[in-house]
Amino acid sequence: MYSYIARRLAFGLLTVIGVSIMVFVIMRILPGDPLIAIFGPDGFTKLTEEQRANYMRELGLSEPLWVQYLAWVKQIAEGNFGRSFFRSESVADMLVRRAPLTAEIALLSVVISWVVGIPVAIISALKPNTIADSAARFISILFLAVPGFWIGMLIVLGLLFWFGYRAPLTGAGLFDDPWANFELVIGPAVVLGLGQAAYIARMGRSSLLEVIREDYVRTARAKGLNGRLVIAWHALPNALLPVITLSGVLMGLVLAGSVPVERAFATPGLGFAMFIAVSERDIFVMQNLVFIYAAVFVLINIAIDVAIAFLDPRIRLR
Amino acid sequence: MTVTIARPLPPPPSRLRNALRGVGYFFRRAPLSAFWGVIAALIIAMAVAAPVVAPYPPLKSDFRAMQKPPSEKHWFGTDQIGRDTLSRVIHGSQTSLTVAFGAVLFGTTLGALWGLACGYFGGRFDMVSQRIIEFLQSFPDLILAMAIAMALGGGIATVIVAIAITRIPFGGRVIRSVVLSLKEMQYVEAARGIGASHARMMFRHILPQCVAPFMILATTHLGVAIVIEASLGFLGVGIPPPTPTWGNMLSDALNAGLVPPWWLVLFPGLAITLTVLAFNLLGDGIRDMLDPRLRGSV
Repeated sequence: MYSYIARRLAFGLLTVIGVSIMVFVIMRILPGDPLIAIFGPDGFTKLTEEQRANYMRELGLSEPLWVQYLAWVKQIAEGNFGRSFFRSESVADMLVRRAPLTAEIALLSVVISWVVGIPVAIISALKPNTIADSAARFISILFLAVPGFWIGMLIVLGLLFWFGYRAPLTGAGLFDDPWANFELVIGPAVVLGLGQAAYIARMGRSSLLEVIREDYVRTARAKGLNGRLVIAWHALPNALLPVITLSGVLMGLVLAGSVPVERAFATPGLGFAMFIAVSERDIFVMQNLVFIYAAVFVLINIAIDVAIAFLDPRIRLR
Repeated sequence: MTVTIARPLPPPPSRLRNALRGVGYFFRRAPLSAFWGVIAALIIAMAVAAPVVAPYPPLKSDFRAMQKPPSEKHWFGTDQIGRDTLSRVIHGSQTSLTVAFGAVLFGTTLGALWGLACGYFGGRFDMVSQRIIEFLQSFPDLILAMAIAMALGGGIATVIVAIAITRIPFGGRVIRSVVLSLKEMQYVEAARGIGASHARMMFRHILPQCVAPFMILATTHLGVAIVIEASLGFLGVGIPPPTPTWGNMLSDALNAGLVPPWWLVLFPGLAITLTVLAFNLLGDGIRDMLDPRLRGSV
């Protein structure tokens, strides 16, 4: 078990390093000129040669690329992630202020996805091809197609239109003002949670259908166990393993989805910060945020892998 | 003595006939998917014929009808500067579908070819490739697309490239695993035995077997690409206004004021949902028909 965790972590570290190189390549090398990213193609052509050289020097962009990369890695290791090109706030401060909100949204959305998705999966799998099953499948197919941020806009609009309600616009900590915090978080969490629930219901259904046909489930039935107990005690735990893995993969959907969804709800979280960074063409903030999102995604998947290994001896022993 | 004259053989069925028969089979096997396939075809037709179908030019503003709710004259209402929303939604389909098809054509195909090479050659090439694919997959796809689109600067070509790159790892993974199992088949062994070149084995013997999984993947990716394109537009890194796209229309709606007019929010989103739904259900049908083993797995 420990050697498995150690191996997984080592691979994870390798992946994070690879990710950092990739982010660096995308943000610095792809455009040929970071100034285009900052000023836009139009603004860039208006700059004189001299101005360009000045900006490049000021931003530390005239150093050789590998020096820039190492400087960035050093910043990350020190935990300050550099500073915005347009604002005084450092990325580290931004993280402290905004990340908790996005983390809350992500966690709550996972809870919602399980609370909604698993019962739907069970109903679908136990009574396949009935009206309930077809309805559940249609709704999950529908939710796979609807963009979350659009649902978010409709919710905001509907609440405003019918109830004149709008969630608070400023950030509120979980412990300072729990109710205001809940008002901020619940909308995005529901939207992102339902999006995941659709995948979970789909995967849970097929996984449960497979497990129900296994011999040990038949044995449990044969020894006279009551039907519900067989499902809850014997079938479900095994059927849920692939769903847990899926939940980890879906975190990518949540992390990415949180950007447009937070914009739709005007939630002052990290996703909104990324939207601001993109619209201000702030490549330094963007570079760090993209790296952090990817690193978090990698870490979550390691955690899921370890959890699965813990729950499933077949993997642990390999 | 009578001579029996051999009756002439019936002419071999033409390719068109075969294709039509396939479509007919699809309609009988999966009527629901076929129905959504027809919807998808209609949406594509609408996109191609946008200038003819749309009642107004998408950029023409009518200053006598600014931000008006749906009416006889403007079915989907008008935006802040009096442009007809229906026309913009119709023209938006053009951009959306161009980007989606472009991204799938480049991304999924490139990924598939890469996967083909990985599975076929194996060894160190495969190992390095798998690491790179793993790095690519470590990014949530929209975030990777945002970063690339931002670095390259807005425009339809960059959006296509950005989305295409996020599609590469999926094509690579799926096709690689298909090729790995195909490689062990006897007919491939036989081809190797009679001295076929690598290229011939890859493209002549293995590639045709990858078409079914590729089709399944490609239709699913069309839907994903449409959603990513809309999200990029919504976040302002997609195709810049005034070109109408469903994403930047939604973004415009939010910028319209504290209370965005409902028709500016409802219709572009409905268009996205309907299109993605059509492609997804068509993809489901194709998957069930081509490969029943994959039912419910992708």
